[in-house]
Amino acid sequence: MNILVFTKRVAATQEEELRITGEGQAVDLSKVPFKVNDWDNYSVEEAVRIVEKQGGAVTAISIGDAESDEVLRRAIAMGAKDGFLIDSGQVLHDPFARSELIRSFIDKEKVPFDIIFTGVQSEDDQFGAVGGILGAIMGLPYSSMVVGIDSVEKDHVVVRRELEGGLQERVKIATPCVLSIQSGINEPRYVSIMGIRKASKVERKVFKAADYAAGTAKIEVVKWVYPAKKGGATMLAGELADVCGQLLGILKEKGVCQ
Amino acid sequence: MSYALIVSEVRRGVFEERNLDSIGLGALLGKETVLLAPDGAYEINEKLVDTVVKVKSAEDVYLNPMNMGKILEQVFGARGKPDYILFTQSSSGTEAAAYTAGLYGFPVITDVSAYDKEAGVFLKSYYSDKVFGQFKASGGPAVLTVRSGSFREFAGEKAAAAKAETMEGAPAVDSRTFVEYVEEEKSDIDITKAEFLLSIGRGIGNQDEVASYEELAGVLRAVLSGSRPVIDKLWLPKARQVGTSGKTVKPKVYLAMGISGAFQHIAGMKDSDCIIAVNKDAEAPIFQYAHYGIIGDIHKVRDKLKEIAKA
Repeated sequence: MNILVFTKRVAATQEEELRITGEGQAVDLSKVPFKVNDWDNYSVEEAVRIVEKQGGAVTAISIGDAESDEVLRRAIAMGAKDGFLIDSGQVLHDPFARSELIRSFIDKEKVPFDIIFTGVQSEDDQFGAVGGILGAIMGLPYSSMVVGIDSVEKDHVVVRRELEGGLQERVKIATPCVLSIQSGINEPRYVSIMGIRKASKVERKVFKAADYAAGTAKIEVVKWVYPAKKGGATMLAGELADVCGQLLGILKEKGVCQ
Repeated sequence: MSYALIVSEVRRGVFEERNLDSIGLGALLGKETVLLAPDGAYEINEKLVDTVVKVKSAEDVYLNPMNMGKILEQVFGARGKPDYILFTQSSSGTEAAAYTAGLYGFPVITDVSAYDKEAGVFLKSYYSDKVFGQFKASGGPAVLTVRSGSFREFAGEKAAAAKAETMEGAPAVDSRTFVEYVEEEKSDIDITKAEFLLSIGRGIGNQDEVASYEELAGVLRAVLSGSRPVIDKLWLPKARQVGTSGKTVKPKVYLAMGISGAFQHIAGMKDSDCIIAVNKDAEAPIFQYAHYGIIGDIHKVRDKLKEIAKA
């Protein structure tokens, strides 16, 4: 079983204050740390587990700048055999353009695969669309929101898809196929700094995005804006003890705490 | 013909409430609204759209993105291509939207939460609602997925009921087939019944901290719940998850600690009587939905709360 896994280096913005530059031209990420996209971490883990059990190889692929090599090393440390970087220089916002680039790359380089994994979404743009577009333009069956892979057979896989409210559906999909992996599907293994250092001895191949058909972007960002302010909360301020006292007062007032 | 096609979502015989947001955006777009729905006996308020097209396909066939591609081919054949195709921002809606965009080479914008008619741009969240991009689409009907709760106020009743049409279903593909639904395992705790929830998120940092929040919940007589990252990391069981893929809760008090407030989480708790958020990030989206907020270190707040409450 050969599995291609896409992994992306994303800005870790959870605890960062983001600033929009100029008249809304860009989001300033110059002071923000970067990390592997959470969803891709789960995807790499899932692919490696399948290959460890059934044989085959995992190839990790990243689209991005040279810095993205770091998520490839990470994937190799987790058990991927190869790491391919498609050096795109700039960010491709349009999931369509990204999917076209991936298809063109796989075709031209004749990369063999049985299953393609993508994360359900990436933490930065949260499009959640690359896997679906890719499946369609490659003429492959597709499933998103995969929270469990129950069986991997020669010509099909049986997976569980996450729906809403705790419900799941089990579906059968013929291979080759594209699956988008949901967070929480497994417990990704710990990757040590030593492991990543060792992984850097495995050669990662670099390809130039310009060598492949990227397709024209169908959507564009006209402007970046901050979220519209709603009512907002009444902020409790003061010394820690004072703030906590106020909080307990609210709980008492609401009748949930003595 | 100029129209907006609303691909509605019906699951287990229920016309999902979030379809109202697609209908609302359809109305805002100012086009004729054509609502697509599968066969079945469920209720639709037929005054909300101009036309309802029922496809003679079973629900599970209709929900399969690959079959939807074939069904849409028939719709386009009968009425021409629409100006917009609206799906729900949900597990199946997003899946089908992306696949449809790929099949037909249409532009796609997901998680649309606002529309600026004058500028003709759609707002889409980036970085968990910290900023939004104003997007424009070109080169074909725009495929959009519509964030639940964003547009339902614009879904107004028209004077007359919609024109009702039926359409033959497309033959189902065999490369992806529905097997069965899998229900969540039963749990002894039902967080939807709790009057007071203490909910923890990614901000707690690591698993070792969970026990101490459990202790705080005990002291305050609250039930402990969590947001998606905490459940994904297996720090709390799935039955304790608040959000669209977990439980929707409406307690008297919802105390959120270290939860930034992804929209999927907000959707699961926004109707609580009183929301109190503690987060070190002053820009965390949750403060927009909370009634009371504290900007600060959640561990320090936790320890101080315990100390005062025990005294």
